[in-house]
Amino acid sequence: MKRQLKIFALLFLLLQSFVFLAQKDKDKVEALRVAFIGKKLELTINETEKFWPIYNEYNDKIKALRKTVRQSFKKGVDNMTDKELEDLYQLEVKSKQAEAELHKVYADKIKAILGTKKTLKLRVAEDEFKKEIIKTIQDKSD
Amino acid sequence: MLIIIGTYFFFAKNCNAQTTFDSLKIKQPKHFFNTVIVLDSYRKPNQSITDTLDFLNKRLKSYGIKQYNISFYTPIATINKPTSDSNVTKNTHILLTGNFMALQPVFGGIPQHTLIKAGIGIRAIFNSGKKGIWFIDASPFITKDVTYASKGYYRMANTIIYSYNKSEKFNFRIGITKSFLWGNKNYWPFIGFRVGRLDNVNLSFQFPKNITFNVPINPNLKFSLYTRPQGGMFNFSNRDSLNYFRNDATFHFTRYEVNTGLRFDVKLNTNFNFYVAAGLSTKNNITFYSDKANSSRPRLPYRKFFYEQNFAPTGFFNFGLVLKFGKTKSYFNNRNIYDAIDLNNIIDAGDGNTNNGGVQLPGKTKKITKKDANLSSIQDLIDANDY
Repeated sequence: MKRQLKIFALLFLLLQSFVFLAQKDKDKVEALRVAFIGKKLELTINETEKFWPIYNEYNDKIKALRKTVRQSFKKGVDNMTDKELEDLYQLEVKSKQAEAELHKVYADKIKAILGTKKTLKLRVAEDEFKKEIIKTIQDKSD
Repeated sequence: MLIIIGTYFFFAKNCNAQTTFDSLKIKQPKHFFNTVIVLDSYRKPNQSITDTLDFLNKRLKSYGIKQYNISFYTPIATINKPTSDSNVTKNTHILLTGNFMALQPVFGGIPQHTLIKAGIGIRAIFNSGKKGIWFIDASPFITKDVTYASKGYYRMANTIIYSYNKSEKFNFRIGITKSFLWGNKNYWPFIGFRVGRLDNVNLSFQFPKNITFNVPINPNLKFSLYTRPQGGMFNFSNRDSLNYFRNDATFHFTRYEVNTGLRFDVKLNTNFNFYVAAGLSTKNNITFYSDKANSSRPRLPYRKFFYEQNFAPTGFFNFGLVLKFGKTKSYFNNRNIYDAIDLNNIIDAGDGNTNNGGVQLPGKTKKITKKDANLSSIQDLIDANDY
């Protein structure tokens, strides 16, 4: 029995190692992104306290929105009924509207915390990070 | 009154101005905490009892420890509270905790006993959104000797802590804890401080739980040097007539030791961690208490023991698996949530002083590597319009 348990534990560890190798760690990229932005913004202690919870909340909503739309397209536009196409169209249009609304609400909140200059710096830092990660992907594929 | 409250919530919701987002009813994680299960195994080798003048010393002959522990916590509610300053994120987290411990004190001269401790508890963490956090834990549990038919004994461990984050690099805590960790029913002040960021190198002093020096080597590997007590108060069947001058069915077996060791926490993937620790176990102490002999002091620490033995320092070995489930809201760089996670880790489920190694804290990453950069990891980050 003990021997069987040991073998089971070993197999479990081995399986987990394979899963680990295959898994793409999204959290790691997200951690890199916030570290990059944090470094660029040079936040004060008071700004740090208020900014990150608001910014995380905003990102969660935007990502959930994009994920929902992306998954809705998975079936393929050619394989959808008219009803499904109409629903998808409404979702796509509404998601863009929601993104704009969210951007307005959260940009105002962030501006109230960081001021105009740092809010714009945030936008620049986000863009720089995107460029950097796209460049890394390009280098990888070369 | 209901109309006033209803009107307030109606307008409060409209004030959020995210009507389109809300209308899409998009599923989002509700909590900041994952469900975490910790499987912990702990051992100390047998040590001979050299002093054989005492009758019980002669009976017991030697002493060692085998301990297996399963504990978990899971979030059951997260309440976001509106504040006068709309930029302050204030929330309350309610977690369900549970613990099952099987302890085998190995005495060379009597048959093996298996003592269990099992409990379900609840804890609340109040995040003010500013610098302070309140942590309240109630962990009722039952202890029983399952080797022979015996009655269980109900106990309760409690903790209240106020944690103040002066900055990301400095935190202090103050509170009170009722714990059986030091082998008796003790009421301790809780005094703690940490120097260094939680996701980086830090020194954490948390009396009476632990003193730890944490060194993350990379996002998947953490090394720590620590000192912490381990112990408890268990029910022990009197089948071997160890409590020979009373006819009690059970008595209380208590133990504690102070372990100083090295620990490695390894993150294999987002859901699975393991840790290995080894070191020196000192201040090894066991006592046997008759329940009736202390019945006149129900709320106070036990005093009248009928057997006590101290042992020389010895080695110990600790191994554990940590499983993490579920998706959470993002809390990157949110120092109050980091602090809540750390508190939830230090005050482990079930008063056993096991430690999940801070599995929920994101690892410190420095540079984008080619391995991390892939389209699937950034597809929610980059919009089609960005290209």
